[in-house]
Amino acid sequence: MKVAEKDNVVQGMLDDEYVRCLDVIKTLQAKMESYPKGALNIRRKKIKDKEYIYYYLVWREGQDVINRHVAADNLPELQKQIADRDKLRNEILAYKERLAYLKKLLNKSVPGKKHD
Amino acid sequence: MTKSLPDNLFPERIRNLICAISKAGFFDRSALIGSWLMPIYQELYGTRYVLRTMDIDFAVHIAHTKIAPRADLNQCITDLGFVDYFTADGMQRFTGGGYEVEFIGQRAGGRDKGFLSVPEWHLTAMPLPFINILIDYSTTTMLCDFSIRFPVPEAFFIHKLITAQKRLSDNKRMKDIEQCSVIAKIINDDRLQQIIHNQRFSKATKKYIALSCAAIEFPLHRIGM
Repeated sequence: MKVAEKDNVVQGMLDDEYVRCLDVIKTLQAKMESYPKGALNIRRKKIKDKEYIYYYLVWREGQDVINRHVAADNLPELQKQIADRDKLRNEILAYKERLAYLKKLLNKSVPGKKHD
Repeated sequence: MTKSLPDNLFPERIRNLICAISKAGFFDRSALIGSWLMPIYQELYGTRYVLRTMDIDFAVHIAHTKIAPRADLNQCITDLGFVDYFTADGMQRFTGGGYEVEFIGQRAGGRDKGFLSVPEWHLTAMPLPFINILIDYSTTTMLCDFSIRFPVPEAFFIHKLITAQKRLSDNKRMKDIEQCSVIAKIINDDRLQQIIHNQRFSKATKKYIALSCAAIEFPLHRIGM
């Protein structure tokens, strides 16, 4: 038995939840645009028995892989931004999973996916 | 204070959130509102309503816009793993594990007031009318040794009677009416009438209350209207 077909209140709540998930994903994706792309890469170089550590932000632009040096002073801020960005990404993923589940219940389409 | 709530009444994420803001003193004067009140009412008053939304709403008491900061709830909530963001109309919300947290305050005056700044808690809140009913007529209970404030059923009932008719969405109106019919079973008429008599409702608001009462076949004389 499909509960959503039997109860208008439940159907309504599921519809509202579907719309809410879409709105939140859109907002979070927009917020993610303001965070840096890429991952933090550490390079170690040994010169005359002394080890030097260099930090790079690495990301892909089309076919190219870009490496941008990060000054030690800027590192904590960048690490925090990357952590926050990853939190956002995980949250978006959770909402997309929820959207897919709601899609099955409501027999709706999910944006960005091929239709059945 | 009413009896304690079982530790497993709420999902873990919600329980941790409630306990964290309780620890900061949030529930000294502010309250949990919305559909997540229903598990509390079920536990304390025996109502039965199993539907839940993913929104967690809190009514924040705004004493004075220039009050000294008391705790950074923005930081507290994000430290719990929630992500903060702003909607297109500038309202602050937090999301975590699919749940969405929102703070709501009493709207003073007319519409289009934007968001409310709450420096006491380092937050912004959405202004809505009739929130004071939920805060002014509230009580407390204990959850995991932390105090949690919530509106008494009569205050929740009156609030829902009004807001049900102001909903733009039929779905949300139906849900509000259904919650009203569930809460109606445990209403104390004396307390209900006391709350009503202490409010100054417009004709339009009284009409909304009457319409909602008619929808759930709740006699108006019980409200004192």
